Amino acid sequence: MFGFILRRLAVAIPTLLLLIVVSFLLMHAAPGGPFTQERALPPQVLANLNAKYGLDEPLWRQIVNYVWGIVAHFDFGPSFVYPDRSVNQIIAAGFPVTLTYGGIAFVAAVAVGVALGVAAAIRQNSWMDYLAVGISIGAQVLPNFVMAPILVLVFTLWLGWLPGGGWGGPIYWIMPVVALSTSFMASIARITRSSMLEVLGSNHIRTARAKGLPERAVILRHALKPAMLPVISYLGPAFVTMITGSVVIDMYFSTGGIGRSFVDSALNRDYAVMMGITILVGALTILFSLVVDVLYAWIDPKIRY
Amino acid sequence: MALLEIRDLTVRFATTDGEVSAVNGIDLDVERGQTLGIVGESGSGKSQLAFSIMGLLARNGRASGSVRFDGAEILNAPPKVLNRIRARGIAMVFQDPMTSLNPYMRVSDQMAEVLMLHKGLGKREAVTEATRMLDAVKIPDARGRIRLYPHEFSGGMRQRVMIAMALLCRPDLLIADEPTTALDVTVQAQIMELLADLRREFGMAMILITHDLGVVAGACERVMVMYGGRVMERAPVGPIFADPAHPYTQGLLAAIPRVDQKGERLTAIPGSPPNMTNPPPGCPFAPRCAYAMPVCETMPPLDPFAPGRERACHAGLATVRAGHAPQPDLPEPAAADLDEAPAGLLHEAKP
Repeated sequence: MFGFILRRLAVAIPTLLLLIVVSFLLMHAAPGGPFTQERALPPQVLANLNAKYGLDEPLWRQIVNYVWGIVAHFDFGPSFVYPDRSVNQIIAAGFPVTLTYGGIAFVAAVAVGVALGVAAAIRQNSWMDYLAVGISIGAQVLPNFVMAPILVLVFTLWLGWLPGGGWGGPIYWIMPVVALSTSFMASIARITRSSMLEVLGSNHIRTARAKGLPERAVILRHALKPAMLPVISYLGPAFVTMITGSVVIDMYFSTGGIGRSFVDSALNRDYAVMMGITILVGALTILFSLVVDVLYAWIDPKIRY
Repeated sequence: MALLEIRDLTVRFATTDGEVSAVNGIDLDVERGQTLGIVGESGSGKSQLAFSIMGLLARNGRASGSVRFDGAEILNAPPKVLNRIRARGIAMVFQDPMTSLNPYMRVSDQMAEVLMLHKGLGKREAVTEATRMLDAVKIPDARGRIRLYPHEFSGGMRQRVMIAMALLCRPDLLIADEPTTALDVTVQAQIMELLADLRREFGMAMILITHDLGVVAGACERVMVMYGGRVMERAPVGPIFADPAHPYTQGLLAAIPRVDQKGERLTAIPGSPPNMTNPPPGCPFAPRCAYAMPVCETMPPLDPFAPGRERACHAGLATVRAGHAPQPDLPEPAAADLDEAPAGLLHEAKP
């Protein structure tokens, strides 16, 4: 197992390099640049700027310099648009925010989703099932860019209970968490329900019942673990999506997470910020698909790496 | 009072194609220490009969009638009542040891939880007791192997684990549902021998469900032959083989391939089992029966005709018996004469 993890981490390095090269090329292939403005800059100024940020060098050289900066100094470069901020600073400012509301949203989505799914499965075709399925369909069809303004309308404008935006204490976390978690919660509930139903129909569950175990032990001790396998493979990518932020959440609630920075950087051709966030998301994706594989092996003893 | 008393047990399943009647009004007594074989082909309702006793029917299944265990009604009983009977009163060994053990739990945990639940043992005592039971089912190195997961055992060993798990609480009745069907022939014999030994040692009653008459011959005192969810014939094991009194039993016996009759055609019962969504009225076997008469449109009662022997058939006993000694004059099934047929070309039997 330990060897497997080391091998997977070793493979992650060329994967990330490939990610860097491809994104770098795509980024430069897109028309425009960080210093493109409505009123064209004088050529001399533009040349100076390009020279300052190394954009006058050949592309392969830029890539090598960029990667070297990361490897040697863990330096993702300066922002091209905000000259006084480095990419490291931008991510350090935004990522804790997204990590906070994304992490809480993740825990909430898993807890509520799994509970709803299990409840629906063990009471299949009862009012409980229909309610759970109804909630999850409702949550699924309500995208967060609809959910967010509705929440603001109700809880900020009408009821005045919650602040409509900004970032501070836990009271600021509630609406971003709700808006972000509902659709994930709905997916988790549906996956849990169907996988639980399948497990409950399997032979070893019949054996567990024949042993005289109370239903609660049958579900918790025998059925839940295998039923979680498909859920876990969904959770890996879902977790990354949630903690790397959502532009919708950052826009509506002015939370200041990196979701907003990512979209801004793409629009402004802020090459360094774009690359930095891409690498962050890529590295997290690789990391959590490894976590999923490790969890699989932990649950299913037949899986050996 | 018999240990297990079943009266007019009916099991139906609601399916999208309509209602399927798996078991149609069965009466059955099993005395303490007795062994009963239930024989029938796939779909005859024998497994569903067993599941309904244990309250293990699939969600869409409904059982009606009465099942009394040790005097107490257990059919459709609340889970609390059933869970007191399960494992302690009635235990079950299932058909497929590959999937019937929990693949995600160590054997030690799966076995220990039974003892912790029903006997209130601590984890360590429970594992010790479980190890002893694995020794009893002749698993070599039980002490080391109890820590393994089910997939680390062979099929035969897994079935031994299943049996050991079922016997942990010394049940009064063991229901073995096709315990050897999924196993190699040589392993089958070992498992049957083990079951017979343990049954004697523990003094349990046993219901052995199988489609293999050979298995029944060695292990059971009484045999019940089922077809289409009904009892066709019930008798001590000797007469079933020596003097089958029902055309279906005769057909089953005739279908056993014999080593000493080389080159003979394999005999089969013509036709196929009834569709239980829409069962034929009357005797379910009538459409395939050589003795079928118009009166077979009504179900014949299960009549005692000799001590301990019952049959459900409209055809006279003498007629059926006479038909047996030579092979019954059934229309020949499509069968291959393997000695004469050129490879790949099987000729139809001419009537």
